[in-house]
Amino acid sequence: MKGHKLAPYLFVAPFLTLFLVFIVYPLLQSVALAFMQTNGPISREFVGLSNFDWLFSVDRDFWTSILNILIYTAGSMFIQLPAALGLAMLLNRQDVKARGFWRMIFFAPILVGLVFVAIIFGLLFAPNNGIINLFLNGFTGWLNAWVPFYPDAWVFDIEFRWTAEYAMPALIIASFWMYVGFNMIYFLAALQNVSKDLMEAAEVDGAGPWQRFLNVTIPAIRPVGTFVVLLSLIGSVQLFELPYLLIGPDGGPGQKGLTPVMHLFAEGFDKGDLGYASAIGWLIAVVLFGVALVQKKLADPGTE
Amino acid sequence: MGPPPGPIDSPFPSEPVHKPRSSALAVSPPDDPKKHTPLSAAGSGWRPLDTMSLGSWIIVAIAVVSSVIVLALPVPDRPGLEFWTFARNHSKMYAPLSERWNRRVEETGEGELMNLYQLEFTALERRTLNGFWAGTPLADLIEIEGGSFYKFVTGPLEDVGFVDLTDLLHDEGIYETLNAPSLTAWTNRGRVFGLPHDVHPVLLAYRADIVEDELGIDVSTIQTWDDFARVMSAAKADFDGDGRIDRYPLSFWFNDVGALEVLMLQAGGGTFDADDNIIVASEANARVLATAVSWCFGEDRIAIDAPEFDAGGNQLKLDGRVVCAMMPDWLAGIWKSDLPQLGGKIKLMPLPAWEPGGRRTSVRGGTMLGIPRATVEAGEFEDAWAFAKYLYLAEEVARELFLTANIISPVKSYWDRPFYHEPDPYFSGQPSGTLYIDQAPHVPPRTSHPFRVVATTEIGRAANSLRNYADARGVYDVESLLPEARRLLAEAQEQVLKRMERNVFLQIETAGGETDNADTDADAGGSS
Repeated sequence: MKGHKLAPYLFVAPFLTLFLVFIVYPLLQSVALAFMQTNGPISREFVGLSNFDWLFSVDRDFWTSILNILIYTAGSMFIQLPAALGLAMLLNRQDVKARGFWRMIFFAPILVGLVFVAIIFGLLFAPNNGIINLFLNGFTGWLNAWVPFYPDAWVFDIEFRWTAEYAMPALIIASFWMYVGFNMIYFLAALQNVSKDLMEAAEVDGAGPWQRFLNVTIPAIRPVGTFVVLLSLIGSVQLFELPYLLIGPDGGPGQKGLTPVMHLFAEGFDKGDLGYASAIGWLIAVVLFGVALVQKKLADPGTE
Repeated sequence: MGPPPGPIDSPFPSEPVHKPRSSALAVSPPDDPKKHTPLSAAGSGWRPLDTMSLGSWIIVAIAVVSSVIVLALPVPDRPGLEFWTFARNHSKMYAPLSERWNRRVEETGEGELMNLYQLEFTALERRTLNGFWAGTPLADLIEIEGGSFYKFVTGPLEDVGFVDLTDLLHDEGIYETLNAPSLTAWTNRGRVFGLPHDVHPVLLAYRADIVEDELGIDVSTIQTWDDFARVMSAAKADFDGDGRIDRYPLSFWFNDVGALEVLMLQAGGGTFDADDNIIVASEANARVLATAVSWCFGEDRIAIDAPEFDAGGNQLKLDGRVVCAMMPDWLAGIWKSDLPQLGGKIKLMPLPAWEPGGRRTSVRGGTMLGIPRATVEAGEFEDAWAFAKYLYLAEEVARELFLTANIISPVKSYWDRPFYHEPDPYFSGQPSGTLYIDQAPHVPPRTSHPFRVVATTEIGRAANSLRNYADARGVYDVESLLPEARRLLAEAQEQVLKRMERNVFLQIETAGGETDNADTDADAGGSS
């Protein structure tokens, strides 16, 4: 009998051990570290709330990174997700030929990985002879030559990665290419579950396409939509590899490509201040927790 | 493969059984025989395909076989010491030297064999930091690049993971044989943590076929950067007649902080002086910053961004869309390897000075060889040190260094050796070694201050702000930009100082009176 009582504990022991050692202990350590300044893990000094004080009152890079990520998130929310939904609706139509092929084409970029995307877009955005700049320059130059009163200022010759204001558009374009098909798949799955009966009933009742979209499709895909929005928000806040490789570890000119996680990485693993990095990490965690709560509230059917 | 036969001695009836959905032993009707699988195993023995699909079994088989192969493969037993480098050209150069060293060790039985590994730059840096911080295994000798050295000296001196070589260098008389500015980059709080690999003087490379043959410019008339901007403006060209400039005189971009630092050091500025005083807001820096923006924008623009180690940048050079580039000795080696098409079309000249009679060179890049403290604890220091001296101080290595990578050795006594002074076909027959050596003693001393990168980041931020200021007002001449450049650099310096004040470890050392000034010979890097 004694063995039977022990058995459940033995079964959960492997998981519990790993969970305690690799999740709970580091988590508690990071709480303690957030109140310290360190030089790598060797030297540490207790500094109280100084890390948070620095974070909120002095650290310009952190607030630049927050602003950057808000812009990037807005790009994801208002450009990428509507485009993904539009694509999903298009590829959900029965009259589109080779739908499977197109779905694969749009989904394919997610398979290649962020590092590859960063390298490819680095070449595309290359100053002076990158293909995007060549196209923009050629096209706007042609317009300038042939269209009367076309302003000279609209002839683009963009140093994408070296010009502060173009770093974020470059990132948004690269991530659009990568993630639009990925998000499209979620929307596509949701659209295939929209009740045909309801749609037909709305049509019989005289609802036009736009009304059907607003009053039938959107409510039906709302749970998935909210989930995709949350995924995009979390992905945006956690953004690291793409700007690190495409723009540069320091966030490029004016730190316009710097994200909070890149800043955390630089503080913790380049400068060795794991304490300050922990403070940044906890702030990001609190923000994400808040976002998740809002999402839960929005997704709760009771709020309809 | 057909459906599995029905169980012979199954305890369950073979006719359809309607069980509740929640039952774990729910049985599908016989018209769907594939769903019988859980029960069949209970009857007539275990069938592999009842447990997992064929695909899953293949995956398991591959996993098992590959694991066995990996475990069975013998791990090469490499006796001796380990040496990490990050640079492809270094690795290529060191390989035969290591082999020679190892042959000598095997023949004489003295010393330790050396195993050379080339690691990717970031991987080497990260593994080294991990080794110092967390005690993970490290090589016995590690090459560190100048841009990342600060990461190893951010804390108290006793936390620095490399062996302090200062006394050893003095005791063995090595210190005096080395070019003084080469040591400053690896000196922190007066202590030297690595053997310098190089000097890295910077010259100006120009397309002789364009400048001399096509444009007929006499480069000896160019003494200052103002001369350069005036004379070389003739190299600007619109190839396709669209009214837009396609060829610019200089490869440079205003917010490339590495290039900015080269110019600031040449002008007598930089981030920290030899006494570790912050000089971000110096007048020299302000003038360089204003000039940099004036070079890249406005009517008198002379620069184009043609980055190194970049396919796009290299194409611009090959296409003749950029005429001149600031070229440290190591970059000359890279161009020879990566841009052989330019061989015979390039020439070198000293950098234009910031004022008449001023310094005609600067410095960029650099590598040191350090020995981790763990090597001392393992009792291997003597052997590691012997190899370090062989690799960095031997004449045969200096020769290889120059012939394979175009790098000048910091050992001054070798500078008169013939191999440095032979005509170089890549540089149109000029003796490139001579040109670099002529400038080597005048290379400005550099700081290895832990906040150097913070300072250069702030300078980069100031550069972007100055560009915005220029754009907003439509003014791009140096004199108009200077006041704003001064203001922005003062702001940048304040930011760096705030960060420095926050660092409790450096404050503790200062309070303890341990912060010595860098033991550097600034005079040696004085202007020419």
